[in-house]
Amino acid sequence: MAAPASNAAAPDPLDRYSRQVRFPALGEDGQRALMNSRVTLCGCGALGTVLANHLARAGVGHLRIIDRDFIETHNLQRQILFDEQDVADNLPKAEAAARKLRKINSAIEIEAVVTDLDHSNAIDLMGDADLILDGTDNFETRYLINDAAVKLNKPWIYGGVIGSEGQTMTIVPGETPCLRCVIETAPPPGMTPTCETAGVLGPAVAVIASFEAVEAIKLLAGKKEALNRNLVMVDLWDWTFRQLKISGLLVKVDCPCCKHRKFDWLEGEAGSHTTTLCGRNAVQIASRRPEPLKFPDMAERLRPLGDVRHNAFMLRFATEGYEFTVFPDGRAIIKGTNDVAKAKTLYSQFVGA
Amino acid sequence: MPVVRIPTPLRPQAGGLDKIEAAGSTVGEVLADLGRQHPAIRERLFDGAEIRRFVNVYVNNEDVRFLDDLDTPVGEKDEVAIIPAVAGG
Repeated sequence: MAAPASNAAAPDPLDRYSRQVRFPALGEDGQRALMNSRVTLCGCGALGTVLANHLARAGVGHLRIIDRDFIETHNLQRQILFDEQDVADNLPKAEAAARKLRKINSAIEIEAVVTDLDHSNAIDLMGDADLILDGTDNFETRYLINDAAVKLNKPWIYGGVIGSEGQTMTIVPGETPCLRCVIETAPPPGMTPTCETAGVLGPAVAVIASFEAVEAIKLLAGKKEALNRNLVMVDLWDWTFRQLKISGLLVKVDCPCCKHRKFDWLEGEAGSHTTTLCGRNAVQIASRRPEPLKFPDMAERLRPLGDVRHNAFMLRFATEGYEFTVFPDGRAIIKGTNDVAKAKTLYSQFVGA
Repeated sequence: MPVVRIPTPLRPQAGGLDKIEAAGSTVGEVLADLGRQHPAIRERLFDGAEIRRFVNVYVNNEDVRFLDDLDTPVGEKDEVAIIPAVAGG
């Protein structure tokens, strides 16, 4: 048996990216910049899995994936990094995505963070990033990301999808309008459809996330001059594509966030974290315990009361028509009610205050 | 007559149409005529006399807040687009 050739040259780390390095607008300098960059991805559902897939394959050096949720079968229609085994294994989305992406590209660092992004952890989770990406499904979190990005003076990219249509815009603090300049306030619940009520097509998500990803690559590769500075809107069903000119809003709007540096979401004045999960007949109970919950002990205590299963990432407990998913930090999603007060009672009853 | 583009979420309040001709020489007049033709859409767009803050209106792809808001002039061949924020993802 031949011994491995010890004098063989180490493979060039750029080889695996040769097809995009040959794209002249990116080039070798752009690729090296990508490989030295850090991204925080907020949310790893439909938009997030497509974003993470593009960026991990493109060679972004450090990818932090934050998501609070677990995988359900109805996610598989559009959340491209997950499979049926992940559902059976009760894996959190961030962890399942990281496992899949490490098989795709072992040359980069991928960090899974299973948590609810909120005002208490946003700066820590975004502070070391070169770019923040929006893979979320709600405006509360987007305004929080916007606050943190403006405060930290870091670029971020908004994306949203519903039905067959979507929107995206890139925010570079100080150079472009911020999210609050363009969308002054979020639509109140009930005034706007959600993916649960209006549905969503996988290809629409993939198009918007791909627009976000290409702007991310430009920013990280140091090609800021190539950025699209419009609010881009696409409807795939009726083939409309629109670029809305928003750059003038930077001087026109008296923005509380980017002009007056009032960070309502980051300072915890807006938004709540114990919240109904829109359209899902579920409530998320916020909690951050200093010590992780001991799932084996908890499971033993709950077993006489209902069906309990657990792994390292979550404990699932079904009783009286409710289904609890509890995370080690104490956060829980309770299915079977939209009533926050009822959910809090159930939480203290079964998980403990 | 100017044409108003109706976004998907508002089409149920607009007889299912994706574009509607509405009369007027300013954004305010055009949207008021739209509201007369389809009263159900009025409530979704306006809070009293003001456009709801989560609804953005564009004339020929320019945000009216950068122009003259409801007083922005609209020509016979112009397009007024109503663009609500998209939350999902």
